[in-house]
Amino acid sequence: MCEDMEVKICLIGMGNVGTCFLQLLKEKQDNIRVNFNFNCKLVAIFEHDGALIDNDGIDLDNLLDDNTNLRKNQHWKSNVKAQDLISTLNIDICIETTPTNPNTGEPALTHIIEALNKKIDVISSNKAPFYLHYKKIQDLAKKMNSLVKFEATVASCVPAISIKKSLIGNTISRISAILNGTNNYILSRMTTEGISFSVALKEAQELGYAETDPTLDISGYDAAGKLVIISNELLGWSKSIEDVKIKGITKITPHALELAKLDDYVIKHLAIAEGNNLIVEPRLVKRDSPLNIQGTINLIELQTKYAGSIILIGKGAGGFEAASAILNDLINIVQKRGGL
Amino acid sequence: MIYLEVKLPDIPGSLIELIKPVSQNGGNIHGILHHHDKKINNMIPVNIWFELSEELIEISLKNIKKGLMEKNIQLIKISVGSKNKILTFILTGHVFDTDITETIKRLDSRNIKVLELHAKFTEIDEISSVIMKVEFPEDMTKFELTNEIEKICKEKNLFLIRS
Repeated sequence: MCEDMEVKICLIGMGNVGTCFLQLLKEKQDNIRVNFNFNCKLVAIFEHDGALIDNDGIDLDNLLDDNTNLRKNQHWKSNVKAQDLISTLNIDICIETTPTNPNTGEPALTHIIEALNKKIDVISSNKAPFYLHYKKIQDLAKKMNSLVKFEATVASCVPAISIKKSLIGNTISRISAILNGTNNYILSRMTTEGISFSVALKEAQELGYAETDPTLDISGYDAAGKLVIISNELLGWSKSIEDVKIKGITKITPHALELAKLDDYVIKHLAIAEGNNLIVEPRLVKRDSPLNIQGTINLIELQTKYAGSIILIGKGAGGFEAASAILNDLINIVQKRGGL
Repeated sequence: MIYLEVKLPDIPGSLIELIKPVSQNGGNIHGILHHHDKKINNMIPVNIWFELSEELIEISLKNIKKGLMEKNIQLIKISVGSKNKILTFILTGHVFDTDITETIKRLDSRNIKVLELHAKFTEIDEISSVIMKVEFPEDMTKFELTNEIEKICKEKNLFLIRS
């Protein structure tokens, strides 16, 4: 790759994260050109009901002025599927942000496999393909000499995965993390206000911190998926969500929280990787522990052999947060491909 | 806990020279004892005990020993004490209906001693919670201890939250 190189990308899924990514790309375009010496050309956007494909490059200004312009565009094709067309596109990087089934990883999994099979580098914000089929995806990427990046899948823009590069000379021995903002908000409110789980959940739903169906969060499944991904990446494992011992937060009572206070503890929903085990469960944590964070924040504590504890902390969700992680991945891929 | 025994000359400033390599390598000093009564040839035995981060214990100890040697401090003994084998946990469910006394006896039969117990409940037959602090044998791992407690929890349908 040389100066003023053109990187052709496609976006699958123009929901909140996808739209935020396009806005960020538009905002940062000049900066990317000046600092990283490449232009990003968006040649395709796939949605559930069709696709906008324009090999000359999609006009981001027009598209972002009004979302309905997507389907009004002369190049819009209805009823076409990304999985059928990925292999026909002339692109360098496929960005995958579709709403995905947490139990099957579809349709994201198929999109990722299709792209890798065509030697296209992939960036995804979808967790499920990685906590279900991590090894299969990594093996395929290796076989096809393609790159696959997924920083946004764990704690959004907090560099939970890319920190690996910064700790290459160290050894990570244990991960303790708070990976679900909804659960941390509920437990924080139960602790400070003495309210029941159901009241705290209702409050979280009213504030938009919890889904209408919060099962994936409160059961611990969401945190377990993220734990699998960071453990595989940082500890070199190849585990799946089936390997995680999971307990949710629904059985935590105000009484239990009061008793914890007696001994200067709080109850936190932790995701832990230690020994050869993956555990997601409520744990007693000392009140002065760095793990005692409040609200919807995510935290990842890495125990290292040569530098003790290293802690990452920040917002674990949000459209622009995820979009910035995707853009990081994109720049990293171009740099790795020799774009500088 | 790390226990260190050295011999220091009975002159001003020698204690600081001992403390420097310990604190510079992350040692959290818990105590120092001078044995003036055991002074021989102007040398006093001194015991110092401190904590080190578990992750860095190996490298820190190496550096401390090196620091002491560079300062010509005579090292008599260094030992790493066993960790305090205590675990705190909460049980939630029908803790009393499922016979808390039997639960304690079961733990005791495995040499797991309940040191403290506090309870919260509204009605005796309603869902309640207890917090327990237990001491467990040195040769039992935390993982093994948790397994023992979890066996009881599974049988009695109790929810375990441990430290």
